[in-house]
Amino acid sequence: MAGTSEHAVGHGGDSRRDFLKILTVATGVVGAGAVIWPFIDALGPDADGTAAAHLIVDVAGIPENTAITVTWNGLPIYIRKLTAQQIADTQAVVTSTLVDPADFASRVKPGYDSFVVVVGLNTGSPCALEGNAPADPRGPFDGWLSPCDGSVYDPLGRVRGGPATKNLAIPRFKFINDAQIQFG
Amino acid sequence: MSTDVKKSWLASRLPCPAKEAGSCAPTLERGAPYAATLPALITGAVLFLLASGLVLAVYYNPAHGFDSIQFIARNVNSGWLIQGFHTTGVTMLFAAVYWLLFRDIYTGAYRAPGELVWLLRVKLFALLLLVGWLGYTLSDGAVSYWSLTNATTAATALGGVAGVIGRWFFGGPNGAGTLARLEVFHAVLALAALGTLGASRCAARALARQTKPQHPVSCHPYYTSQTFAAFAVFALIFAVLMFFAPHYGLNPLNRAASDSLIVPAVLSPPWYLSPVSAVASVFSTAAGSIFGAIVMLAVLAALPWLDRSSPNSKRGLFYRLLTGLLLLDVIGLGWSVSDPACTISGSLTVVFTIWYFFHFLVLTPLVTALEAK
Repeated sequence: MAGTSEHAVGHGGDSRRDFLKILTVATGVVGAGAVIWPFIDALGPDADGTAAAHLIVDVAGIPENTAITVTWNGLPIYIRKLTAQQIADTQAVVTSTLVDPADFASRVKPGYDSFVVVVGLNTGSPCALEGNAPADPRGPFDGWLSPCDGSVYDPLGRVRGGPATKNLAIPRFKFINDAQIQFG
Repeated sequence: MSTDVKKSWLASRLPCPAKEAGSCAPTLERGAPYAATLPALITGAVLFLLASGLVLAVYYNPAHGFDSIQFIARNVNSGWLIQGFHTTGVTMLFAAVYWLLFRDIYTGAYRAPGELVWLLRVKLFALLLLVGWLGYTLSDGAVSYWSLTNATTAATALGGVAGVIGRWFFGGPNGAGTLARLEVFHAVLALAALGTLGASRCAARALARQTKPQHPVSCHPYYTSQTFAAFAVFALIFAVLMFFAPHYGLNPLNRAASDSLIVPAVLSPPWYLSPVSAVASVFSTAAGSIFGAIVMLAVLAALPWLDRSSPNSKRGLFYRLLTGLLLLDVIGLGWSVSDPACTISGSLTVVFTIWYFFHFLVLTPLVTALEAK
């Protein structure tokens, strides 16, 4: 009893109660958090979804003057390897003469000049562009051609003619090494 | 000052009934037992099941029910945990509901003026049985598939109004679209159960307000702390079951995928459905089984009028003994359908069923009338 009163004098009458209250509330909050977390976690993307959102594509095998198509986020993505001639030609274009001005450096990743990665949908009336294979119709600039409205793009995906007025969109991606790119 | 203005702005547009009624006013009787927190625990369990059910519904695919549950358990983040929450949550919910009903029978809480509370609780029980069965069929396992197929076959074969309702409910024989509609009924009827639960708690609260307390205490902190302590124990039992016995009371054969060409050897339902399933199995025809299940719940609902004692009179020793026997009888009913390998379990089901109805229709009126003298 003496100890209790001394305790009460020393630390205030409610110190023991306060301690227990804080302990109880803290335990309760941790418990509630542990229960709520699975509900939040379960509604997030699963491992498959995360992997699909950060798709890795091997680009080392793409032959020059050819593009491959991959699907990412539901979009057809064209990955094209340019020839030295195409690089030189597109670098020589005076940017200010274009419909949607964009220079060479803004269309490729620094250090990987030969790879162009674009969303392969015409920016005019949306439809998939032709010109991935060397034998495909590519239009006068050796790039892509829209079979729907006749819009013409150069090998960098810049619009060069037709109803379309915007360059092809560039998806979010990075080179993780010389042979692979990762989207997202 | 600005907060005062804000408060009155909000309070004038959104009046809080609890605040106006003064929920902290000492209006409750002191010393309610821990079992009086059961309705609160049941509410917590139902809300928990709604939350976990919503997450499961995001990923559940009724066209491939079994596979989508495997997907939830294996691929969805914490999916195994949410699924365990839902499965074990049902066990906890039914345990609390069975306990509540038995407690009401034991104490005679169903007598006037508590009949409405009792009726709403029986309705809640009936709805939960239906929702529980629907959820069981959604598991699309080898056993639940046959439970559903037997039900749909019976519904298509039934004549009259029952057949019309059955065909409307199931949309014909068990086929491609059946689980999709049952998923919707499962969710909608779960919300109906929540509404019924709310109504029963409103009625119980109105009942409590009729008597003036001898030693009045306020709800907070007196009963909030009691509810919190009960909830902590409830959650602890839940956690132990969930992590150490996640398939408690469930037929292990139902962990295999459904197959329309293979009937499993043991067709026992989950534990919480088994007493009703046992009474239904006594009757040989589909119409008889439905009749049996309905009458089983109907005698429960009729209890306030089967009891001949006056309200507030003490329960006699013999009646309390009989209630204990009834508990054993219901456990026996459930056990008798879960173990068909036992050769006498079929006749035991009949005996337990007869005792169930004998208890309510003969013993209850007789004993309560005798003990009231």
